[in-house]
Amino acid sequence: MKKIIKLSKKQRYWLDFVSAMTQKEIKARYKRATFGFLWLVLNPLLQMLVMGFVFQFFVPVRVDNYFLFLFAGLLPWNFFAQSLTKTTPAFFYERNLIKKAKFPREGIILSIIFSNLFHFLIALILLMIALIGDKLLIESYTFMQLINYALRMLWVFPAILLLLLFTIGLSLITSSLNVKFRDINFIVSLAVMLWFYATPVIYALNLLPEFIQPLFYLNPMTTVVEMFHYALMGLPMTMMNFVWVAIVLIIAIFYFGIKIFNKESKNFDDWL
Amino acid sequence: MTILEEKIIRNRKHTNDVVISLSDISKKYIITHEKPTLVEDVSRILRFQKKEEYWALQNVNLKIYKGEKVGFYGPNGVGKTTLLKIIAGISSPTLGRVSTKGRIISLIDLEAGFHPDLTGQENIFLNGLIIGMSKDEIDRKFKKIVSFAGIGDFITAPLYTYSSGMKLRLGFSVAIHANPEILLLDEAMNMGDEEFQQKTRRIFDKMLKKQITIVMVSHIYKYLNDMCTKIYFMSNSEKIDPKYII
Repeated sequence: MKKIIKLSKKQRYWLDFVSAMTQKEIKARYKRATFGFLWLVLNPLLQMLVMGFVFQFFVPVRVDNYFLFLFAGLLPWNFFAQSLTKTTPAFFYERNLIKKAKFPREGIILSIIFSNLFHFLIALILLMIALIGDKLLIESYTFMQLINYALRMLWVFPAILLLLLFTIGLSLITSSLNVKFRDINFIVSLAVMLWFYATPVIYALNLLPEFIQPLFYLNPMTTVVEMFHYALMGLPMTMMNFVWVAIVLIIAIFYFGIKIFNKESKNFDDWL
Repeated sequence: MTILEEKIIRNRKHTNDVVISLSDISKKYIITHEKPTLVEDVSRILRFQKKEEYWALQNVNLKIYKGEKVGFYGPNGVGKTTLLKIIAGISSPTLGRVSTKGRIISLIDLEAGFHPDLTGQENIFLNGLIIGMSKDEIDRKFKKIVSFAGIGDFITAPLYTYSSGMKLRLGFSVAIHANPEILLLDEAMNMGDEEFQQKTRRIFDKMLKKQITIVMVSHIYKYLNDMCTKIYFMSNSEKIDPKYII
């Protein structure tokens, strides 16, 4: 096989290592589970049905196509929430490994995030196929309409990129600090629970009073979830000009994540 | 002050290549009585207390040449394992500089990195990568690793079905096939059944003859005396307790 990009031996090793760790995460998760990969679609699906039932019939939220709206938001949110709660105590759980061998420490965090990403992408692709199928077979779109529809879906790529950078950056910060300060883990699980309600997953931002809306854009997940809503459902972003806030915040957090990790990881052994 | 006193056991030839060089290495640990939490940190700052510090190593200077078999000997708590971890790159010194040349394999814990739900085969790859082998290298040596470990058909079974001896053999087999240039051993390696011990002994003898640098740490003097060309006596006090110099 001809290699397009020439990698140094070190970079090659790093890639092999992270990919092997990721494969381990994926394989180990579904080993000896009879339904195996089915869980990865079943999980958000059941979550969507329960939530949809509650917010459609008990406390109605006025959003068209509410079940789909929920699903499109829950996928990226679950990826983020599950990754963050799992990575935060990861160095602490892998202390045996960290104290015994020298290897790229970030592999532990990245493998968790990439294995979640793998699951997230499969669920997302299944959703996109279902959506296109629906437009093609039931709503019988014309060819041009279908092309436009598919082109809009391309917006998932920048959305995934932002989501991934944000998750990696924040995970590096919380997991590195959790080595010394074990409270971080408790704070994160609490914060994720509250954070869910500060992100427009079960409601749409434009249902809120207008003066409060900009505040929500201080939460990068608002922008990410809205980008998914736009890409998958065509719902316009509530405040387009606030996208930059999220992009700047995400890049800053990614940068600080790497900084903090580099500083702290040298001394993980002392604290575990 | 960490004192190192050198004792040459046997004069075996080694080259003038320095493979491990420690200059002015000091390692400070911060003592926490409870597990380190934010609350404790904040309360300490509010009470204007300084952190409690402990220097495990102070001003260690040494050079180890290619092919030397070096032992570190001393009572518990003198910093032997800390020193080994610093050489391995698992821990980093608070002050000073470490430089090493060549692949270091540490046989500190052979089962680190094994996952119980994965098969022996999958674990060989994972463990190999963790100790620093490349994927191609593991591919090439895969058969040898399996046959040395002697686990037969279990190679495709998940690791939780292995006996502890089998896991140990698998871990050891991966480690020695990594072709270390520097081998780090913590405490006496005493493992596996009779047959496997003889096998490992032969491997060590082979390595002793080769230009592989071995650094080992033990509080059993006889063990070091048998294997090493040079022993460092370590102590934290001003002078080394004469009962430790045999």
